Amino acid sequence: METIFQLIAILALVVGTLFSVVGVVGFIRLPDVYTRLHATGKVGVFGVVLLLVAAVVGQPLGWGRGLVLISFLMITGPATAHAIGSAAHRIGLPRQGADRDDLLCASKSKS
Amino acid sequence: MYNLLLLVPLLLVYLELSSNFELSNLIVGLLIVTGILLLVRPRRRLMAWRRLPSAFIALMKYVVILAYDLIISGIQVARIVLDPALPIKQGIVAIPSESESELGTALSAHAITLTPGELVIEMDEQGVMYTNCLDATKSEKYVAEAQKMRMDLLEKIFS
Repeated sequence: METIFQLIAILALVVGTLFSVVGVVGFIRLPDVYTRLHATGKVGVFGVVLLLVAAVVGQPLGWGRGLVLISFLMITGPATAHAIGSAAHRIGLPRQGADRDDLLCASKSKS
Repeated sequence: MYNLLLLVPLLLVYLELSSNFELSNLIVGLLIVTGILLLVRPRRRLMAWRRLPSAFIALMKYVVILAYDLIISGIQVARIVLDPALPIKQGIVAIPSESESELGTALSAHAITLTPGELVIEMDEQGVMYTNCLDATKSEKYVAEAQKMRMDLLEKIFS
C-alpha cells in the first residue's frame, strides 16, 4: 500500500511539473494577452493542483488541508483570468488573427 | 444566537484541519472563527433536508465532470502550446447562460473558464457570456449542450 501511494505521488509530481513548465512555455510562445491567459490560468492551475495531490499522497500533509487548498485554487484561478481578460478587453488590447468575433457583431448591431 | 451555533462546527473543522488540540491552538482557532463570523455574518437559511441527498449526488457529479474537463483542457492547451506550428484559431463566441439568478450566471462563467480552451471575458445584461476560445471552429452545439448539462446540475445543487 505504501509503495502504491509513493508511485501515485511520484506520477503526480512528474506530471504536475510538466504542466507547470508547459504553462511557462505557453506564456512565452503564445501571441497575445488572451491566449496567454489560457496557458497560465488553466495549465498552470492544473500543474499546481497535481503538485498538491502529490504533497497530500506522499507526505503527511493531511487530506483536509490539501482539499481546502485545491478548492481555493480552483475558485481563484479562473477568477483572476476573468479579471485580467475583461480588463484587457475593456482597454482594447488587440487580438492576433481572430477568426470570429460575436462581441464585435453584438456591439455593431446595437449602435 | 444562530452565529453562536455556527461557531462550534467551524471550530471543529479548524481543529480537524490543524490536528493540534493544545489550549493555545484552541484559543487561536476561536479567534479565527469569531473573526470569520464577524466578517461574513451568515443569515439563517431554510435547509431542505429532503433535497440534501440529491443535491449531494449532483455536487459529486459536477465535481467529477469538472475534473474531467480540467484534465482534457490541460492536455488540449498543452498540445497547442507544444506544437511547433501553434495551431490557434481564436475567436469570441457568445454563449447564453440561461440562468435566472446572478449566482447561477457567475458559477456557469466559472465553469466555462475551467473547460477546454475557453475564457469568459465579457458579459451583457441578458447574461450572454462572450467567451474567448482557443479553437473557435468547434461546433456551437457542443458548447451549448455542455452548458445545459452543467446548468441542470448547478440548479439541483443550489435550489
